[in-house]
Amino acid sequence: MSTVIQCRDVIKTYDDKKALNGLTLDIPEQSIVGVLGPNGCGKSTFFRSLVGLVQPDSGVLEILNQKPNWRNNADIAYLPDRARWYPNHTVRRAFDWAESFLPHFIREQAEKLADFMELDLDLKARGMSKGQEARLMLILCMARDVPVVILDEPFSGIDVLSREQIIEGIIDYLHEREQTILISTHEIHEIEGLFDFTVLMDKGKAIWTGRTEALRAEYGSMHQVFRSLYKRGLEL
Amino acid sequence: MDERQVGGLNFQIDFSQPLYEQILDQFRSSIAKGEIDLGEKIPSVRELAQVLKINPNTVMRAYQELERDGLTEKRRGQGTFVTTSQEKVRQFRHQLAQEYIDAFIQHMENLGYTWADIEAYMKNKR
Repeated sequence: MSTVIQCRDVIKTYDDKKALNGLTLDIPEQSIVGVLGPNGCGKSTFFRSLVGLVQPDSGVLEILNQKPNWRNNADIAYLPDRARWYPNHTVRRAFDWAESFLPHFIREQAEKLADFMELDLDLKARGMSKGQEARLMLILCMARDVPVVILDEPFSGIDVLSREQIIEGIIDYLHEREQTILISTHEIHEIEGLFDFTVLMDKGKAIWTGRTEALRAEYGSMHQVFRSLYKRGLEL
Repeated sequence: MDERQVGGLNFQIDFSQPLYEQILDQFRSSIAKGEIDLGEKIPSVRELAQVLKINPNTVMRAYQELERDGLTEKRRGQGTFVTTSQEKVRQFRHQLAQEYIDAFIQHMENLGYTWADIEAYMKNKR
């Protein structure tokens, strides 16, 4: 199986804080990857560096066999942490916008997902709950026919029902596509059954990388692993 | 441990164990015990993945293994069905019985018991 993302000794420093401190990992293609770790472990910096929003100080980083660059980004759907949408857009209008500006956006897929996740096309972003807006943001990413999807904390601050709808939407959609999907999250218990591959991060490094089933056989559930590996103050 | 129901079948999913094996084992034992009838349709990959909240690929791998065992068969455009062959299920039950006995004997031998001891225990049990 070939790799879609490769990192070798990637270092990124902000002032005197090392956000990435020798990150080394390989992510195989067409898997659902859980990127897990406590706040401040470097997950978001890693994701941002994959789409060129962050330039590493040193090390090698490749995605889809290239250094991150804007042309490559046409093939990557990236959902940033705490993403919001234009408040005056309805869902339908957001889909119009996406059709014009997001490469490989498939409207039919977006409408199917909206229907599945019970998101009304006439709803304006301004009037949305956090969960509804999160579903909209997720659909805008997932409806793109691209080889890599990166979701940074897609569940943070969202109610259980919306989380379930999102997870069901992802499962439904996984069945039809062959993509690599990276998901960072704290809501491990509800989604851990989806991960083929797991990256555990701490202090800017990958401390464990591999098949999720192997991790389970060796250490137990992700939830347990998380609790035992990271004993520092966690939001669990 | 999460317990979920799908199409009349109960599934227990324990996220601290490999999921693929759990699905495979639960289907195998349901078929061997006759909880699923011969020729009965089993849930689609998507349906089971949705109910159990797990990766459809994991379900698919387990289904492929069941098919290799000869316990299920895919029918084009209709889904996956338990085999209609009583003989195949009988063979599989026989294979399971062998595996259980082997495991039992292995445990006893690890404890240092001889054949004579094992026989004595078995007789006492009856």
